[in-house]
Amino acid sequence: MSNHQSQGPGNGPPSAGMSMQHQSGGQAPSSQGQNLSQQNLNQIVIEYLVKKGYNRTEQTLRAESAHVDKDGRPLQDRPDEHGYGKYAKAYTLIRDWAEGNLDVYKFECRRLLWPMFVYSYLELIIHDGSSEGEKFFTAFSSSFEKVHGDELRTLETIKLQQHVFDNSLTKLYRNNKYRIPLNTHVYFGLTTFLEQKDTPVDGGRTILYLLQSYCELRETQRGPLDQFSFDAIVNKTRAQNVDDLDLQEGIEGAFTGVSNKDIMDNTTPLKLGLMAMEHDLASDVRAELEDEDIKNPPHSGKSTLVEEFDHTIKREDSTDAPSRSEIPLPPSRARDVMMEVQKIKEYRDRFKIEGRTGGVGPGISVCMWTFHNSMDSITCIEFSDDTNLVACGTEESYIRVWHAHGEVLHSSLAGEPSTSRRLIGHSGPVYNVSFSPSIESPEDAGSPTPSTAPQLLLSASADKTVRLWSLTSWTCLVVFKGHEGPVWNVRWGPHGHYFATCGWDKTLRVWAQDHISYLRLMVGHDTSVNQIAWHPNGAYVFSASDQADKTVRMWSFVTGDCVRVFSGHTDMISALECSPSGKILASADNTGCIILWDLAKGTMIKRCRGHGKGGVHSLTFSVESTVLVSGGSDGTVRVWDVKLPTDPHPTGDGDTLPTNAANDAARITNGTASGTQPNANAATAAGSKKKGKDTTITPDQISAFPTKKSPVYKVKFTRMNLVMAGGLNLG
Amino acid sequence: MADPKLVWNQENIRDVAESVGIPNLSDETVKVLAQEVEYRVGQVIVEAMRFMHAGKRTILGTQDISQALKVLDVEPLYGYESTRPLRFGEASLGPGQPLFYIEDEEVDFEKLINAPLPKVPRDVSFTAHWLAVEGVQPSIPQNPTTAEARANELVPKGPGANPTLGALAGNDNVTFKPLVKHVLSRELILYFDKVRAAILDESQDPEIVILRKSSLKSVQSEVGLQQLVPYFVQFVSEKVTHSINNLFVLRQMMELTQSVTENKNLFIEPYIASLVPPILTCLLGRTFGAPGLDNLKEQYQLRDLAASLIGHISNKYSKSSGDLQSRLARTCLKYFLDPTRSLAEHYGAISGITLIGGPSAILTLILPTMKTYEYVLTKAQNERGANDESLRMLIGAIMKGIMTIAESPTQMMNGLNGNAAEGQLVEEYLGSTIGSRVVALGNHKLNKAILDSIDK
Repeated sequence: MSNHQSQGPGNGPPSAGMSMQHQSGGQAPSSQGQNLSQQNLNQIVIEYLVKKGYNRTEQTLRAESAHVDKDGRPLQDRPDEHGYGKYAKAYTLIRDWAEGNLDVYKFECRRLLWPMFVYSYLELIIHDGSSEGEKFFTAFSSSFEKVHGDELRTLETIKLQQHVFDNSLTKLYRNNKYRIPLNTHVYFGLTTFLEQKDTPVDGGRTILYLLQSYCELRETQRGPLDQFSFDAIVNKTRAQNVDDLDLQEGIEGAFTGVSNKDIMDNTTPLKLGLMAMEHDLASDVRAELEDEDIKNPPHSGKSTLVEEFDHTIKREDSTDAPSRSEIPLPPSRARDVMMEVQKIKEYRDRFKIEGRTGGVGPGISVCMWTFHNSMDSITCIEFSDDTNLVACGTEESYIRVWHAHGEVLHSSLAGEPSTSRRLIGHSGPVYNVSFSPSIESPEDAGSPTPSTAPQLLLSASADKTVRLWSLTSWTCLVVFKGHEGPVWNVRWGPHGHYFATCGWDKTLRVWAQDHISYLRLMVGHDTSVNQIAWHPNGAYVFSASDQADKTVRMWSFVTGDCVRVFSGHTDMISALECSPSGKILASADNTGCIILWDLAKGTMIKRCRGHGKGGVHSLTFSVESTVLVSGGSDGTVRVWDVKLPTDPHPTGDGDTLPTNAANDAARITNGTASGTQPNANAATAAGSKKKGKDTTITPDQISAFPTKKSPVYKVKFTRMNLVMAGGLNLG
Repeated sequence: MADPKLVWNQENIRDVAESVGIPNLSDETVKVLAQEVEYRVGQVIVEAMRFMHAGKRTILGTQDISQALKVLDVEPLYGYESTRPLRFGEASLGPGQPLFYIEDEEVDFEKLINAPLPKVPRDVSFTAHWLAVEGVQPSIPQNPTTAEARANELVPKGPGANPTLGALAGNDNVTFKPLVKHVLSRELILYFDKVRAAILDESQDPEIVILRKSSLKSVQSEVGLQQLVPYFVQFVSEKVTHSINNLFVLRQMMELTQSVTENKNLFIEPYIASLVPPILTCLLGRTFGAPGLDNLKEQYQLRDLAASLIGHISNKYSKSSGDLQSRLARTCLKYFLDPTRSLAEHYGAISGITLIGGPSAILTLILPTMKTYEYVLTKAQNERGANDESLRMLIGAIMKGIMTIAESPTQMMNGLNGNAAEGQLVEEYLGSTIGSRVVALGNHKLNKAILDSIDK
C-alpha cells in the first residue's frame, strides 16, 4: 500500500508524462502535498487544457484518469493483479473463507466455489490467454474432480477465447446467470466479508465482479444446508420438499452440480395409476377366465382366475389413471384376449416376492445367457417378453435373433429353417433393439388360438434411422426417419403400438407403428439423450441425458410436456427403468450408483451403491416392485431391496424419504457417495483414494451374483419373477 | 503470453502449412493453431466417448472416432478401421527430422498363396446356465468360484448391513461373522489345544517337561500358524489376568509370548498392542505368586524375562508402530518414579527402561533423578536393612542400567589415581548410595559419560 502512494506522484497519474508543459501543471499540486485531491487536480488540469485548446490531450487525460481510484493510485498496477495471480488470489480468498467458516455453514459456502472456479477460468482464458488459464486450472481443479469430472474434462479442452464462445458448455455458463441460493446468515457473512476485502489487493473485488456479472445470489430464509441440519432432519421425517428456491441452484437447464429444475412446478399432479382395461376386452377376458376355471379348477389354496382378475385388474376409469381416450389404442383382437388371460394366469402362478419379513430377503433365481466369440462387437442384448427369443444388435450394423432355448426359427417366407436369423438393413452400428409385447402361449394351446409370440422388433442405429422388423418373415417392414443424428435407444410402449426413441440430437420422440412420422417431439435436454423408459400405464416417458446434463426427465405422452426433472447423478446415466407399480423410477449411472426416485413427490428415495466402475447396463423390477435387479459391466448381477432405506437407522417408520437438500448437501462433500450413509461414506472417501476398486455396498443390497468376467448387458424379470440375464464373455 | 504447454506438436502445424503453400507462419499463429487443433481433437474424443458408451464398451476404438467425426460433420479418416492396435514406425528424413508412419506388414506373395487358409473365426453363440437359484449361486463350472469372485467383497458391510441378507446370498460364514473372521482348520484347532494343554501342565515329570519345551519350540519355529496368532494372544492375556498368583503359569505365558514373537513366519505387528499389556503386567506387577521368600527368585526371573521380552518387542516393532517405544518407556518411568510402589516394581521398571531405551534412556531419564531417588533407597535401607534382597536387586538393576552407558565396562581405566574430583562429582550427582558404587567401579569412561550428561 505504502509504496503505491510513494509511487503515485512519480509515475502514477497519467498526466505526468505527457509533455513538458503539462508536467509542470501536473507536478505543481502534487508537490503541494495531499491537500488537493486527485479529482481536483484532474479538474484543474482539464480546465487548463480546455483553455489552451489541447483537445486531444484533454480526452486522453479523461480516458486515462478513469483508471485511477479516488486516492490517485492507478488501478491494476502490480503483476499479481493481472491474470492468474488475480484470480488465484481471489479464489484462494473465497476458498479460505468457505473453509474457515463455521462447520454448520461450510456446505453452503462450498457451493460458491464451483461457479467461482468456472468463471475465473473462463475469464482468464478470454482475457489473459491459455497459459494463465491452464495454471489456474491445474492449481484448483482437483477438488471438483469427483462431482464435476465431466465438466472438467470439457473445460480442460478450452484453450482459446474462440473456444469459450464456441463450446456449448461454456456458452451455457456465460450466457446464463448461475443461481446460488444462500441461507440468510451465509449471505450476510459473504457480503460483509467481501465489503471488507473490497480492494484489488485482497482479491475481494474480483469475487464481487464475478458474482455480479455471472451469478445471481439469492437470500433464502431456511436454515443452513447440511446433511444433518435441523431442516434436513425435520424435512426427512415429514417427507417434505425443501424450499423451492433451493431447487433452483445453477443454470437453467444445465446440470451444474447441485440441483436444478427448470420447470417451475416439479409437483404437477401425475396420473400414475394403471390404465383401465377396455370394457369389451375386460368382459371377453372374464368370460375366457370363467371357462378356464371350469376346465382347470385351481389347486387347493389358490384363488380362481376370475378372483385374481377381479382383484388385480381395474375396469373403471379412476382419477389417478389416464383415460383410454387420451391414448388411443387399436381395438383389441383375439390375440389381446389371449394375452390378458395368460397374464392373469402367470400372475396367479408366479413366484411371489412379497415384502421382506423378519429380515429375510427373497431368493431370486437368475438364468444367465452368455454370448461367446462376440469380439466385443455386440452392443445390446434383448429378451422377448415370452422368454423365447433373444436378439443382439452389433457394431457391424446387423441384428441377430436366436431362439433362447435353441429351437428352430421358422419363416413365413420360403427358406431354410434356422436356429438364428440375421436382420440386415442398417448402415451403422445398431445400439438398441426392442421386442413388441408378447407372452408365453398357454401350454394347452389349440391350433385355432392366435399366437402370442412377439411379431415385431424395433432397432435403433447410428445411421439416424429406426427400423421395424417382422419376426415372422424376418424382413424389414418400415424405416422411421426423423432423428438428426445417431439414435441411441428405442423402446416399445407397455401396450405396444407406440414406441419411443432418443438420440444424439438431444430429442426424445414418440412414434406410432402406423405413422411414418413421429407423434411427439420432446425437447429440453442439453446434451444427447441416451436412455428411455416407459411408465407402465403408457402415459409417460422418461429420458436421461449424458455429459453436461445428467438429468432424468419425465414427459407426459398426452401433452408432450416435461412434468418432472430429476437430478442427482454425477456421471452419465446408463440405465433407466420404471417400476410396474408406476410409483418408482430407477436410474443408474456409469459410476455404478443406482438412484430410486419417487415419481409423485419428485424426490430421490435413496441411492443404492455396490456396482463397480463401468456402469450399470440394465435394471429391472420384480412384478411386485419390491425388488430391483441390476446388471453391470463389473460382471455382476445384483439384487436390491426397494423398500429398505439405505439409512441403517431410519428416523421414522421406514417410509421416510430423505429430501433433496439432504442428499445434495451430502453430494457436495462426498461426491458420488450415498447421502444417507455417513459411516460408509467416510469409508468410501478414504478408500477410493487408495484403491479405485473399493466401492461401498449399501446394506439394501440383498445379494450379488458374479459371473465369470462377463459384463452383464441385460437383466429382465419375467412375469413369473424369474430373472433372465444376458452377458458377453470377453475372456 | 508465456508458452502454453501444448501436447500437439507445433512442427506439425508448420508442415501442414507448408504442404498447402504457406511457407512462413509466425510463431504466434502456429501456437494459436496448435491450441485450436487440440481443442478440436478434444471435441472429437468427447463425442467418440458417447459412441463407446452406446456400444457398452470400455475401450475407445477407431470406429468410435470415425462415428464422432461423422456427427461433427468432418470427413472421417479412412483406412484406420482396424481390430488390431496400430503400430507406428519411425524413419529419419535427416538429422532431427523423424517421420512417423503406420507400419504396413510386408507379405510374401508366394508364402501367402501357399499358406493354409486361416481358421474361420467361430460364430457367435450363447450358452445358458443358472447364475442363481432361489438366491443362492450354485457352484457349477459356469459360475466363478468363491475365491475368484472374492465373495466377501460383494456383500454390504458396515453398521447397517444385515447379516441375514449375506447368509441368504449363500455366503454362509458371513451370517454370524465374528469381529475377526477366521476359519480354523481342524488340525489347527487340535494343535492349539495340544499346545495349550502342554504348556499349562505343571508336572515335573521329565516327559512332560520335554513336551512343554518342545511345544514352545514348535510354536517358535512352525510355519502356518498365522491364523492361530490371535488365539495365542488372547490365551496369554487371559491367563495372565487370571493367574496372577501362579508364577508357573505366568512364566509359561511369557515363554509362549517369546516363542510367538520369535517365529519368523508369523506376522504379529497387528497384535503388538494386545501382546504388550500381559508382559507389562509380568514386569511391573506388585507381587506374583504366593508370598514368601521361596519364590522371590522366580519372581525376579519372571521380571527379567518380561523385561527382556519388552525390550525385544520395543526394538523390533518400534518401526512399525511409531510411538511404541516412547509409550513403554514412559509407563516404566512412571512406575519407577512413584515412591509408593514396591521395590520389586521399581526393579521391574528400571530393568524395563534399560532394555527399552538403552543407555540414552538411562542418561536422560534416570540419572537426573538419581539424587532424589536416593530418598527411596535410604528409606528402604532404614526399613529393611542393607541386606534386604529386594533392595539389593534394585540397586543391582540400577547399576546394571548405569553400566550400559559405557559400552565396555570391563575396560578399566587407571582407577586408582583417577581423579578423585571426578568421583566426587559423580557421587554428588547420583547421590551417595548409587554414586559411591559407580565410583567404586573406577570406570573412567563411565564417569566421564555420566558427567558429560550433566552438562547437557
